[in-house]
Amino acid sequence: MAVVPKEIANNLKNALFQGDTDAAASATQAALTQGIAPLVLVQEIIVPALTEVGRRFEALDIFLPELMAAGEAGNVCTAIIEQAILKSGSQMHSEGTVVIGAVKGDIHDIGKNIVTSLLKAHGFKVIDLGKDVPAARFIDEAENNRADVIAASALMSITRAGCRDVADLLRDRGLKDKYLFIVGGGSITQQYADEIGANGFSETGSGAVELVKSLMTKKRGV
Amino acid sequence: MYANDRLLEVFQRSRSGQYMKEVEFDLLLARRVNELVKEYNITFDPNNVCPADDDLADRVFQAGLQLFVDMGAYHLDSQRVIKFSRAEILDALRQAPDTLHLGEGRDMVIARHRNIEDPHPPLNLTGPAGQPCSEEHYLELMISYAQEPYVHAIESGATLTYNGYDIVAGTLMEVKAVQRDAATAREAIRRVGRPGMHIGDCATGMTAVGKMAASEPVNLLRPCDGRLVAQMCEMKINDDQLIRVPHLINYGSQIINLMTPLTGGIGGGPAGVAVVSVAETLLGVVCYFATYHYLSITHIKWQNNSDPWGMYVLAMTGQAMARNSHIVWTNDPFCVNGAGTVENLYEVAGHAIIGSVCGYQEHGVGSTGGNVVDHHTGLEAGWQGEVGIAATLSGITREKANEIALKLLPLYKDTFNNPKLGQPFHELYNTQTITPKQEWQDCYRRAKETLNKLGLAFTQGPYD
Repeated sequence: MAVVPKEIANNLKNALFQGDTDAAASATQAALTQGIAPLVLVQEIIVPALTEVGRRFEALDIFLPELMAAGEAGNVCTAIIEQAILKSGSQMHSEGTVVIGAVKGDIHDIGKNIVTSLLKAHGFKVIDLGKDVPAARFIDEAENNRADVIAASALMSITRAGCRDVADLLRDRGLKDKYLFIVGGGSITQQYADEIGANGFSETGSGAVELVKSLMTKKRGV
Repeated sequence: MYANDRLLEVFQRSRSGQYMKEVEFDLLLARRVNELVKEYNITFDPNNVCPADDDLADRVFQAGLQLFVDMGAYHLDSQRVIKFSRAEILDALRQAPDTLHLGEGRDMVIARHRNIEDPHPPLNLTGPAGQPCSEEHYLELMISYAQEPYVHAIESGATLTYNGYDIVAGTLMEVKAVQRDAATAREAIRRVGRPGMHIGDCATGMTAVGKMAASEPVNLLRPCDGRLVAQMCEMKINDDQLIRVPHLINYGSQIINLMTPLTGGIGGGPAGVAVVSVAETLLGVVCYFATYHYLSITHIKWQNNSDPWGMYVLAMTGQAMARNSHIVWTNDPFCVNGAGTVENLYEVAGHAIIGSVCGYQEHGVGSTGGNVVDHHTGLEAGWQGEVGIAATLSGITREKANEIALKLLPLYKDTFNNPKLGQPFHELYNTQTITPKQEWQDCYRRAKETLNKLGLAFTQGPYD
């Protein structure tokens, strides 16, 4: 397996830190042209760099725009790498697939966007459904994308019933054990998560990543 | 230039403005804010959270105006950008009211534009302010706010259930809950002998249908009351919010522009968020026809504004608008700590003092970051009003406000990462007599003694 040359590694890392999509795309292309294995690029450069961006955001050393820009740059890299992997006839490795959205009636999605960026930074494939998402759509998209996790967010107390709707529909469609269902957002508490039968709850973005990782580990261990 | 109906122009431009993906708008906005902060030399010093610098205040206003001219408002449904020219924005600002009559009869209060270090004390337009409430104690909770002597208006909170069932936004349950909660707010002010008191909103309503369901002039919200029209972070609007505007104009109601700019969010640090806050105020004037404004600054991690960033944004946007407009607006202290803790009262006090000297009317309080059900009471809301009045009557200047705020900060800043959630309303109050229990009154007296030592002269308060 080819080692990533220092210059390319630094260029790509810096592009991700700065959220420079053009530079990130060039560095990724350059690495692939030099025969660096796509998976090596992802595991040795992209995931650690984006994880570091997430850590800086959690420490408030950087602000949301820097996190978002890094996430956008990471998306560009991932798209190029996915194409390369598809061309080679292999499949993109992912830590798991998460379908995420803010529930029906809730139009506040910054918290959800932070979780999305951090999950991507940790190598998860994330299907972001946006905001004001009806319960049925969470489940339909999870089915269509063979997801592992459904993550629902509700900031406003009056919209948190949307999380219960997802939990109820999972149960009524006989899919409760098929997906890991997690909830978060300002109006959600551990008590509420337990009450609706969610598999997990997190108050913070980094906590959500740890939660998904630990639930995935348990799921794979079964 | 718009013709005779600005509202139609808002609609037309929401259908014809530049198409842009939301994330593109966010990143463009962040970049433009950064540029303007540098161009106008807007700086933040954590040791000076309430700068006494008129020129800086004017630069914050000019940068905010330029930001709104350059970026416009992002319309989430059409994914288009609604832009207005500088002349159109300033024309709308000129047309906005400088004096409001809130409530009716002998309980009516007159809210006027306030200047920096204004000698006229602020009003206190308060209530649970959108915090989650249980239905079990809702009437008693609302009475606890309405009965406070330094409270001049209440706002209905957000209940979670209706007869034990979850309230689901956009359904008949939302309408039924709004009707119940607006009626409860009216019953609360009637019971305390202030039947004409202004009711600022019914926060249980999340959608336009819910908000409009509160319009009923006998038992629910009257034209002398108000309703919120909110912006999404940052500088984003949608049809559900805009729908409320013609309804509220026709009903004759106050329209309140709710802004929740995030420190550490798209606007970046405190200097950038002050610029964004000015732009969002102008957006509320132009697109929402707001008669007054709630500036509810929110820390991206702690959901408060009692930290140095929040205090700076409060101080600079307040001074910017006080010096460059004649509009009426309010602050909104959000605290990490809950009712029943003295730290909550310190967080409120720092915010209330800066708000009072920087041109705001008082509004709030959000305890526990607005997250924990029923962990808020009338006592801390009344305290905010009392502190705001004391700050004015004690002749507190911006320099002195800065000094007091920075002396209060060490008394609660260690709780940011580990908040003291306090206790729920029904444990802090005797729910039959609706009076705060001894321990909560003790916190009030302790906080008052501290503030007194720091230079605030109080008159007789309700729990002395």
